[in-house]
Amino acid sequence: MTRKHRRNWPWHVLTGVILVVMAYGLWYSTSLISYEWRWNRVPQYFAYHAEEAQRAADYGTVTAIAEDGESAQVTLSAESGGEQVLRVDRDSLQVAQGDDVSEGDLVGVTRHWQAGPLLWGLWTTLWISVAAGALGLLIGLFTGLCRLSNNPTLRDLSTVYVELVRGTPLLVQIFIFYFFIGTVLNLSREFAGVAALALFTGAYVGEIVRAGVQSIARGQNEAARSLGLSAGQSMRHVVLPQAFKRVLPPLAGQFISLVKDTSLVSVIAITELTKSGREAITTSFSTFEIWFCVAALYLVINLPLSHIASRLERRLGKSD
Amino acid sequence: MIEVRHLVKVFDARGHEVRAVDDVSTSVQRGEVVVLIGPSGSGKSTFLRCLNGLEELDSGSVSIDGVDLADAKTDINAYRREVGMVFQHFNLFPHMTVLENLCLAQKVVRKRGKAEREEKARALLAKVGIAQKADEYPSRLSGGQQQRVAIARALCMEPKVMLFDEPTSALDPEMVGEVLDVMKTLAQEGMTMLVVTHEMGFAREVADRVLFFDHGKLLEDAPPAQFFERPQDPRAQSFLRQVL
Repeated sequence: MTRKHRRNWPWHVLTGVILVVMAYGLWYSTSLISYEWRWNRVPQYFAYHAEEAQRAADYGTVTAIAEDGESAQVTLSAESGGEQVLRVDRDSLQVAQGDDVSEGDLVGVTRHWQAGPLLWGLWTTLWISVAAGALGLLIGLFTGLCRLSNNPTLRDLSTVYVELVRGTPLLVQIFIFYFFIGTVLNLSREFAGVAALALFTGAYVGEIVRAGVQSIARGQNEAARSLGLSAGQSMRHVVLPQAFKRVLPPLAGQFISLVKDTSLVSVIAITELTKSGREAITTSFSTFEIWFCVAALYLVINLPLSHIASRLERRLGKSD
Repeated sequence: MIEVRHLVKVFDARGHEVRAVDDVSTSVQRGEVVVLIGPSGSGKSTFLRCLNGLEELDSGSVSIDGVDLADAKTDINAYRREVGMVFQHFNLFPHMTVLENLCLAQKVVRKRGKAEREEKARALLAKVGIAQKADEYPSRLSGGQQQRVAIARALCMEPKVMLFDEPTSALDPEMVGEVLDVMKTLAQEGMTMLVVTHEMGFAREVADRVLFFDHGKLLEDAPPAQFFERPQDPRAQSFLRQVL
């Protein structure tokens, strides 16, 4: 059979049509339960214009108001002799020149942008993921090498660790870390959360590292050793660089999993993305909108992560 | 220079023992080229691998220049520096360029400076005839070129002895010659060499002695002319009838 040139674009169009139909179906089904979409309520949970009240500190009079652009500079002279200068937004000005003010009177407000709960949650999720991922990688590398060690004790201990961690749910591990180990050692909730995630990731990374090292042909190590390299040098310069290239795809998958698993630390009251979302819903009642936003924010972390992984894979693949 | 005394290597293959090298004693003088011949599974490769400690001995002793491999005080890494090895499947490091392959051990083991090790590497690449491939990755090279790089890589460490484990068995026929030529040059320069091979022509032309192995035993040890014309051992006679 000869190879035919196939036209692909009609199929891409079909994909687009299917996605549009699914989106419409979703919208239609929510309209059946008379859900009212209120996307306009969502942005304030990302960032909002915070107002800070500026108040008179003492009894006195307004002696001068100097306006420049959007803001105004108000000078107050107190009866006790002091002078207070306040800068407020011009449109919020509550006083005029010559007015008497008493202690605590509102002169005006200043506004500035502040990150809302969803952005804070995103940041918390991000740093917990990075911290747990870096620690997990170190633990995993060490565990993987221990699993391959000639020393029976190292081998046994690493096997026990991997089996214990892989055989129990992460949620239970987080509770154990927080309520048991955290109480005994007096750990903060963030420390307990990061430690639980790092140990969980370490066990899986350990198995990935072990499989990667074992997949490198024995001849590579033999060639290195026959040149006079020690076992450690051979591992460091010859085996691990090749193994790393092979384990990059499962490793990337593991880190993407880790980012999603950070949602579980919300159960020990760490306000990461998922918990921020739940809190935003309690005040906004926009359940659907907030959850869609939370999902999108996880994608904002994970899509670049898998993009970086595939680029790294291509770069390392140049020797093939 | 190389002294092997009552070397025994036993593989434990699911309960029943295989004596891969069975009580072999021999010695090799400096500058000698020794070719090891025998049917597959006769233990000649295992014997070679025992000489640089890639296989642990079960009993007996191996020593090079008086340094005993079985002695617990011997630094195995220091010992291996003096013994170059070339493998059937080349075993180049695929994630490094040819030049990096040649420089790695010089840098890590010999602690040579960058200029010195690269000069050495380029000189050896020129010697094996592939100077222009220094910056290629091994996957871009033909089998014969890869094997020549592997020989150059071993030579970078300035070994006293070179071991060749079937260096041409994985090559396409038209590439065997280029590798054998490099080995002949080495032999003429006085390198001490032990070669496991099925290239009878090479054995006849270059070897000073031929060792014939079967079932782990060293059955015949003779100069090539005598071995190929008048083999003494009956198994050597039947082996030669089959391959010649």
